Amino acid sequence: MYNFSCTIFRNKTVNKLAVMITTPPYSNLSVTALDYIETALKNGVELIGVFFYQDGVLHADAHVQIASDEFQAISHWRKLHQAYKLPLYLCITAAEKRGISDEQTQNISPIFTISGLGELVELSTMADRLVQF
Amino acid sequence: MADTLIKSLALLNTKAPYSNTAGKDALDIALIFGSFEQKVSLFFQGDGVWQLMAGQNGSIISVKDYLKTFAAFEFYDIDTIYVCQTSLTQRNLPANFHIEQVQVLNQQAFAQQLTLHQTILRF
Repeated sequence: MYNFSCTIFRNKTVNKLAVMITTPPYSNLSVTALDYIETALKNGVELIGVFFYQDGVLHADAHVQIASDEFQAISHWRKLHQAYKLPLYLCITAAEKRGISDEQTQNISPIFTISGLGELVELSTMADRLVQF
Repeated sequence: MADTLIKSLALLNTKAPYSNTAGKDALDIALIFGSFEQKVSLFFQGDGVWQLMAGQNGSIISVKDYLKTFAAFEFYDIDTIYVCQTSLTQRNLPANFHIEQVQVLNQQAFAQQLTLHQTILRF
C-alpha cells in the first residue's frame, strides 16, 4: 500500500470526504483511489460515499474478472464496504450504457447502491471535499 | 483561504467533442448541479476548447450533437464559462463560440479562477 501523507486527515482539515471514481478496475488509478480512501478511513475521516461514474461503473460489474496475479480492485471495495459500511453509489445511466443492469443482466454487485447524478450533488453538498480518481 | 471559498463546482473540460463521451458526461453533471441550484462553472482547456467552436454538426458523423444543449445553460443559471486563451492560440482558433457569455482568459487568470472553486472535476 502506498503511504499517503495523512496530514490533511490528521489535522482534520477534512471531516467529511466524498470520492468520485471515473477509472475502471483494470486501471492503476483505482489502486491510488483505494489507498487514498483506506488512509482516510483509518485516520477517522468520515467518508460519506463513493460515487462511480464513466468507466468507474465497471467496478460494480459482478462479471468482471481480473487475472489473479493482478490488483483486485473489486475485492478491495468489498472489504472496505464490509469493514466501514462504506456507501458505494452507482450511476445507473453510465452503468446501463456499459451492460451493467439490475433488470436485464442482473450483474450489479450487491455492495453497490443504485443511484444517479442527483446523489453526486448530494455528496458534493454534504462533503468538505470531493476528490476524483 | 479555505473560509473564502464558496461552495462551487468547476468542471474542467480537456477533451475534444465526439470522439469520446467526456464532454457529454461533464455536461450531464453541469445540468444536474444547475437544476439543484448549485453553483457550477465550466472551464475549457487544451482540446476541450473545440467543444465551444461554432459551426459543428455531430449528426454528420452519427454522433448525438450534445453541444446544442450548451444553449440551455442560461436556464440552469450557468453563466460562468471560461476558455483558455493559450489553448485557442495553440490551435489557431478564433474566439468564435456557439454560445455567449464565454470569457477568454490568459493562463494565469484561468488558473486563478479555477482556484476560486471548492471542487474541480476533470473530464
